[in-house]
Amino acid sequence: MSDERESMSPAKLGLGILWPAFWTGLPIKLAFVLLFLALGMVHFETRIGLAFLMLLTSPVTVFALPTITLGLESHLGEGVGIALLFLLAIPIDIWALGVAGRTFFLERLRREPPEGLGLTLWWKCALVGGIFLPILWVAVSATTEAAISVVHSMFETDLLKGVPVAEKISIELTLWGAVALGMLLLLLGVGLSLVGLMIRGTVESARHTTETYQGLITRWDLMRVPADQGLMLTALTGGAVVLSLLFWFSLPVFTPHPHDCCKKPEVKAVPMVKPLETLNKNEKMITQLTAQVELLEKQQAEAELGKEKSKGKAGKDAVKAPAAIAPVPPAAMKP
Amino acid sequence: MRHIPSPSAPTTILEKVIDFVDERVGLKLLVAKMLNEPVPGGSRWAYVFGSVLLFIFIMQAITGVLLMFYYVPTADHAYASTQYILHDVDYGWFLLSYHFWGSTAMVVCVFAHISQVFLWGAYKKPRELVWLVGLALFGIVMGFGFTGYLLPWDQRAYWATTVGVEILDKTPLLGDFMARFLKGGATPGQMTLSRFFVIHVMVLPAALMGLAGLHLFLFRSAGPAGPFRGTPEELKAKTDYFFPRQIWKDIVGMAVVFACICALAFWEPVVLLEEATPDPGDYHPEPEWYFLFLFQLLRLKMFSGELGQLLGAMVLPGAFMALLAALPFIDRDPERNIFKRPIALIGWVVVMAAILIFTISAIINREFLD
Repeated sequence: MSDERESMSPAKLGLGILWPAFWTGLPIKLAFVLLFLALGMVHFETRIGLAFLMLLTSPVTVFALPTITLGLESHLGEGVGIALLFLLAIPIDIWALGVAGRTFFLERLRREPPEGLGLTLWWKCALVGGIFLPILWVAVSATTEAAISVVHSMFETDLLKGVPVAEKISIELTLWGAVALGMLLLLLGVGLSLVGLMIRGTVESARHTTETYQGLITRWDLMRVPADQGLMLTALTGGAVVLSLLFWFSLPVFTPHPHDCCKKPEVKAVPMVKPLETLNKNEKMITQLTAQVELLEKQQAEAELGKEKSKGKAGKDAVKAPAAIAPVPPAAMKP
Repeated sequence: MRHIPSPSAPTTILEKVIDFVDERVGLKLLVAKMLNEPVPGGSRWAYVFGSVLLFIFIMQAITGVLLMFYYVPTADHAYASTQYILHDVDYGWFLLSYHFWGSTAMVVCVFAHISQVFLWGAYKKPRELVWLVGLALFGIVMGFGFTGYLLPWDQRAYWATTVGVEILDKTPLLGDFMARFLKGGATPGQMTLSRFFVIHVMVLPAALMGLAGLHLFLFRSAGPAGPFRGTPEELKAKTDYFFPRQIWKDIVGMAVVFACICALAFWEPVVLLEEATPDPGDYHPEPEWYFLFLFQLLRLKMFSGELGQLLGAMVLPGAFMALLAALPFIDRDPERNIFKRPIALIGWVVVMAAILIFTISAIINREFLD
């Protein structure tokens, strides 16, 4: 048993820490993913499952995702939420790796976990992931594409041209899927071994523990029990309530994807009636109009006065030129 | 003489109420028995599926009741009332989408639970009855999915039911009767909707509650199986009670599933197709996603013709379910470690791979239909 612990393969070592760390951090990250989705800060456009998985496996994808997104032009999604999630995932992963790592050191390796184990494990995993995952991405994508084209060309040959559609689809899928999955598993094994090799140094520098197995189990079990359980419970409940309220407030009341049959007519907003303003405005208008009417009356009176004066003058000149006393056209009377 | 209260005398109203109930039904003993159940080898994430399934069922019941406040189970109004829920009821779209994705989560978790029990060898003696009742519960969950799918009364619902009933029709002896009983006529109509609705909201919930209670009782009687490997020293050191660690893990499991269902309701909210008509038009009929593998299997040439369809639709799935039911009585080897049971391991991998391949094939096959 002791030999088995000492000669543990790097892949087993990597998997032994990454697997429980992934599950430990997942519920917290998931809560944030949900909240950001509700707030419309994250939009996964293609390969939803893959993008989602990469977010949740952030101990190894935290540096790899920007490389894959920018360097290899693989568009996984949009929104500030993605970057924010990765930032939030860093402390969560450090904590999760710390919890999982300490348990693994005590129970499986029977060694004393060193100080700052979470941070040490996190940067090592992130470094390996940052370098290795883009390579894995390119290799698996290339293998899958090559396998698909080879399998397609196989079914183009005369021998297999007559295979019915349903059978063809299933056989093709099985063949290229097996090749792609094989490649993925192989490279994942290599990646886990690399993580294990990086961690091995930390493992070897940790001193052996002399406690009994029962004692070790009790220790790692108690490590997971918070010192102040009341505080922990209150904090968790508070966090859950805040997240639930945020989620509820950001939730659209009606469906964001209305059916053609039930689209609601666009309602134009009717301006609000403000009685005082309307009264003041009307009063102002009446005053203006009254002033205009008065002005017009004054102008008319002046015009009539002018006419009468000119009539008197014309009476004197009538003997000289009777045609000059022509009637004023009616249009001239208009204001 | 002054009465001196004993140290255990109840002081608060809550304690008095608890004591009152305890005196009559033995509440404290019941709770102690429930919570202090020893879990051999300690709590594990792999054991959360049963509790998660119970949680999903409760949530389905709550959302289902809320949907029933608005849903009208008649052929004339089912579609309109579902559209009303989606477009006019406050948060109705989210409730319906949660209910829809909840049913999917239930099927996924049932598969996960059955797989865990199978891989852990937890169906073996003395847990045969737990396994058998579990298989019956699996059938009920599938029944929930099948009957619930028709209720929105759109083209997808109508044709999925038509395909499902046609598959059922191929059962020897009983097939014709069952198909006519479910449809209530030559084509799906008001009678079909009424029957599916009653089965969905009354018969199946009652059956599920009864069987789930029996499942739990049998499970508690036989006790948890525990891990399939580990030395007696390790098992003894890790053995713990159900409360608080396993309960904590169960709660986290429920929260994760709840978050996943909510996220899916956001990503892919329910959008209905056109109202159901006996003419499929451009729509290519197909069943729900968890029956797609069977649907694709029936497209294979070897399953064409009357006999082939009978083989693919009934004999093969029937034989598989019969094999699962007989498993604890066939596999009498007490060895539970899956890595020492190669036939079981290979069998599980083959079945899962086949389901996956045929489901994806059915999705790819859609391109050839358009």
